[in-house]
Amino acid sequence: MSADVSDLSLVRRVQRGDKGAFDALVLKYQHKLVKLVMRYVRNPAEAEDIAQEAFIKAYRALPQFRGDSAFYTWLYRIAINTAKNAVVSRDRSPIEYDLDRNSDESHDMQGRMKDSETPEGLVLTDEIRSTVNAAIDALPEDLRTAIVLRELEGLSYEEIAAAMDCPVGTVRSRIFRAREAIDRRLREVFEGGLGRAEELG
Amino acid sequence: MNEELDSQLSAMFDDELPSVECELLARRLSRDEQLKARWGRYAVMGAVLRSERGVRLNAPLARRVSAVLLAEPALAAPAPASARNAGVRWWQPLAATGLAAGVAAASVLWLRAQAPLQGSAAMSAQLPVAPRAVAALNKASLPELRSKALQVAAPVIVPPIELANYVVAHSMFSAPVAGHSLLSTFMSEGGAPVEAPVADVTRSAQ
Repeated sequence: MSADVSDLSLVRRVQRGDKGAFDALVLKYQHKLVKLVMRYVRNPAEAEDIAQEAFIKAYRALPQFRGDSAFYTWLYRIAINTAKNAVVSRDRSPIEYDLDRNSDESHDMQGRMKDSETPEGLVLTDEIRSTVNAAIDALPEDLRTAIVLRELEGLSYEEIAAAMDCPVGTVRSRIFRAREAIDRRLREVFEGGLGRAEELG
Repeated sequence: MNEELDSQLSAMFDDELPSVECELLARRLSRDEQLKARWGRYAVMGAVLRSERGVRLNAPLARRVSAVLLAEPALAAPAPASARNAGVRWWQPLAATGLAAGVAAASVLWLRAQAPLQGSAAMSAQLPVAPRAVAALNKASLPELRSKALQVAAPVIVPPIELANYVVAHSMFSAPVAGHSLLSTFMSEGGAPVEAPVADVTRSAQ
């Protein structure tokens, strides 16, 4: 499977004037981009503003995107430049740190970042996180292994098939079934209890 | 929701869907809000699994970006190479036709210069309309009208074989249909001399 095919098919649609396809790209990469920008700015709200600016810059620059590199690589560069410019213009020093959960410094930073969030937002984020984790824990072993190898290790279906000694089609099916199981619970959080489905996107 | 469609969506999210299927699903994804929401939740699952801490998982970022882009004009990508070539190509036949017409006019003038006396003699002998028109004219204005006629539509007798040879030789610069009709005209006239129109001359004289 050639890399970046799905992103490229969405990008081509945007380039032909289909704005809806750009929503899908934003939904897919928003968390990664915010996490990336948070290496440069202190609070999540500011990081979201910069990520938003980066997405809009990317949208405007898409006619020049030829697909020589992966879409995310290209977007990544735009986000880094936008974040650096924001830092310079606000006369702040960039903060380089690792958001690894095991790092003490990271935990400290988490505390400071959380201060800037609203309690409601924190509750929902925590609920989403605990719902997904609980759903993953409840998965059968083969489904859990497949989704973890994919999402956490970033392995391709072929690599997962080799690791799990099963056909690629089985890997695809296992990952899909894992996502379905998690999604059933997640949907309840977004559409049910808290009634904030629209906040996903 | 269709399970096969959801399975395709999951594979597309992982960049593991064949490109043809990707194209079709991308089209649907851009329009189907339910599918888009599911796609967004897949991204949330990934963010939780990767422990993307500090990131608000319920952030309305996508909605905000979408709202800003509503005011933006839809993109029009630079035309791909083939389209650019097509854009260039449209004027090429016109330019070629113009060039061919210019060369043809120059050739006709050159041919006239080669045999001016033959031309005028043949004209007076072979144009059936011309004598009537000339007879109707005021004799005093005849030289003036003749000079005008030479400017507007020079009465020309062109040896048809030479002209046909010229057209064949320059056919690559003219549209095939035009070249074909011109040649057909020569063939149907069977070697009759080509006449220059004189109707304008008679009209202006009256």
